[in-house]
Amino acid sequence: MMQPKSADPMSRYRPSAELIAILAVCALFVVVPALLNNDYLLNKVARYLVLGMLAMSLSLSWGYAGILNLGQAMSFGLGSYAMAMTLKLKTVPVHTGPQGLPDFMVWNNVAQLPWFWWPFESQTFAILAGIAIPAAVAAALGWFMFRGRVTGVYVAIITLAAMVVLNLVIIDQQQYTGGFNGITDLAQLELFGIAFDAYGRSTYYLVTICMAAALLGAYAFTRTKAGLIIQAIRDHESRVRYFGYDVGAYQIVAFALSAAIAGLAGMLYTIVMEFASPTFLGVQLSLSVVVWCAVGGRQSLLGALLGAILVAGVQGALSESATFLETWTLVMGGLFVLIVLFLPKGLAGLVSSLWALIRQRPFRPFRGVHGIGQTEGGA
Amino acid sequence: MDQFIQQFLTGLSIGSILLLVAIGLSIIYGAMGIINLAHGEFVMLGAYTAWFLQVQFGMGLLTSLVPIFILVAAFGWLIERFVLSFLNNRPLDTILATWGVGIMLQQAVRLTAGGELRYVKMPEILSNSADVLGVQISLYRIFLLAASLVLFAATWLLMNRTTVGMKLRAIIQDRSVAASFGVNARRIYGLTFAYGAGLAGLAGALVSPLKSVSPEMGTGYVIDAFMVVVLGGVQSLVGTVASAFVLGELSGVIAFLQNDTVAKATVLLAIVVLIRFRPQGMFATRVRA
Repeated sequence: MMQPKSADPMSRYRPSAELIAILAVCALFVVVPALLNNDYLLNKVARYLVLGMLAMSLSLSWGYAGILNLGQAMSFGLGSYAMAMTLKLKTVPVHTGPQGLPDFMVWNNVAQLPWFWWPFESQTFAILAGIAIPAAVAAALGWFMFRGRVTGVYVAIITLAAMVVLNLVIIDQQQYTGGFNGITDLAQLELFGIAFDAYGRSTYYLVTICMAAALLGAYAFTRTKAGLIIQAIRDHESRVRYFGYDVGAYQIVAFALSAAIAGLAGMLYTIVMEFASPTFLGVQLSLSVVVWCAVGGRQSLLGALLGAILVAGVQGALSESATFLETWTLVMGGLFVLIVLFLPKGLAGLVSSLWALIRQRPFRPFRGVHGIGQTEGGA
Repeated sequence: MDQFIQQFLTGLSIGSILLLVAIGLSIIYGAMGIINLAHGEFVMLGAYTAWFLQVQFGMGLLTSLVPIFILVAAFGWLIERFVLSFLNNRPLDTILATWGVGIMLQQAVRLTAGGELRYVKMPEILSNSADVLGVQISLYRIFLLAASLVLFAATWLLMNRTTVGMKLRAIIQDRSVAASFGVNARRIYGLTFAYGAGLAGLAGALVSPLKSVSPEMGTGYVIDAFMVVVLGGVQSLVGTVASAFVLGELSGVIAFLQNDTVAKATVLLAIVVLIRFRPQGMFATRVRA
């Protein structure tokens, strides 16, 4: 069944196995509504899918580019607010003041729509902005960091600080952002004549399609030349620099791409949750994203996605009881430390080494025979 | 003029708190290359220990400083010994591990001591205010300033004038060469981490009368302290002091003109711009990759 033409047949085989797994998972989520005749649960699954997408976006920057972004939720929150702003302007007049002014602005004695809200009258602009703004912010931040050749822990802390500060600013500027309460009472998104009700199938399919597109897009990106160079930078930055590649530029691209996917996930999250809140760019969520990624496997897009769905799903199931939820945070912290210590590649790493073990066993004698004529075979 | 002096003293006071929190972080980062994200939680632990000792045993803040240092340092030593020493060559993973430890600490405190705000009483003798250049300033803030400078001096002496400090500096320069000369790197790392943690605990205890004590109090501190370390430059204790006071004055002025949030945002922006042009920090004397 396997014709080993290259020195190491596994390396030829693994990518297609991953692709098949990705396609299988996407297909699985497409058929979920047929099996699940419960709008509430469907909404929950859609929520987990969005969170999975967020974790996948972090896997792209952390696992593939080696950029540990502790503030991944910042991009997510920016996307979420972009969507919430346009939906707020479209909401029914009960929730608005004169000339469609959002209700929280009326409460805060704001007489006119502030200038940065104007473009969000256009839904098309908002959707583009929800992807472009996080990407642009990440690119700008990346320009300062990666051009200054800052790496590792500095990047981690600066991204975290940027998110915390943005969170504070949003809470502080209550009259323009809704402050602590976020932006609530939104209209439903309408695209091409389809209304996206948070508890309807249309929303679920929208989420699934976006998730599948993002996952396949990210996977394709990691297979391109740029994607390979980014992984090379992760493994040995200065070596790649000596080859003459513009390391900073590649890092900025990976960082911005990851932010764009997170922004898209944020927009979907607003549609699924029907509000935007400062907690969407809070430390708690950002930390959770890192944990999901670590549990699922930071170096596997699919692993990170499934890790998020798994952990968030378990947490959601436990959240019925408050005491359990509090202990859960403790357990999650402990689990996280253990995984960092003993399973740095996460569950995906575990699966692939088990897979390799299973595949290797029966072929061992043949590989030995092939190995005789090959220079690299014995290594 | 009074306004100016008042403003200057406020900045100095903010700077001294920043310095208190940042010294421990700076030591650990400079010596071990570990960004200790649990640092804020060590600060929180110090504050809670102060509260606990006060409520349970009626101990005053000043008398409980030594036990607090020892307790938090011992805790730090345990973390280093049983978590971080497994992660020798994975600096990014130490950030994650310390973050995980931080969440567990936060949650453990929330579950045992409760999530509500706690208050620590100011020592009686320091509760008055003094007249400095025609401006009233609380004695406790002057005490904090003095305490931060004393702790800095002690740390500097420890690093530069003791055998342990010399061994630590040797390890920073080249771990394997130091080890071949018989320096026990693991032991020194454990001690360094414990010392940094102890300092964080002290910082938490010292700021607790000024701010309310809550399980979440650490998060803000660790980010502020990191800003100090970035601005000051790694491995430069003097830089840490200078940048703590520069940031303190800057935050004080902007907070006076606008508000705290704008101050935080401006400081962050300034630092992000700065690292583009001077990634080694403002006051670093030497640079190592």
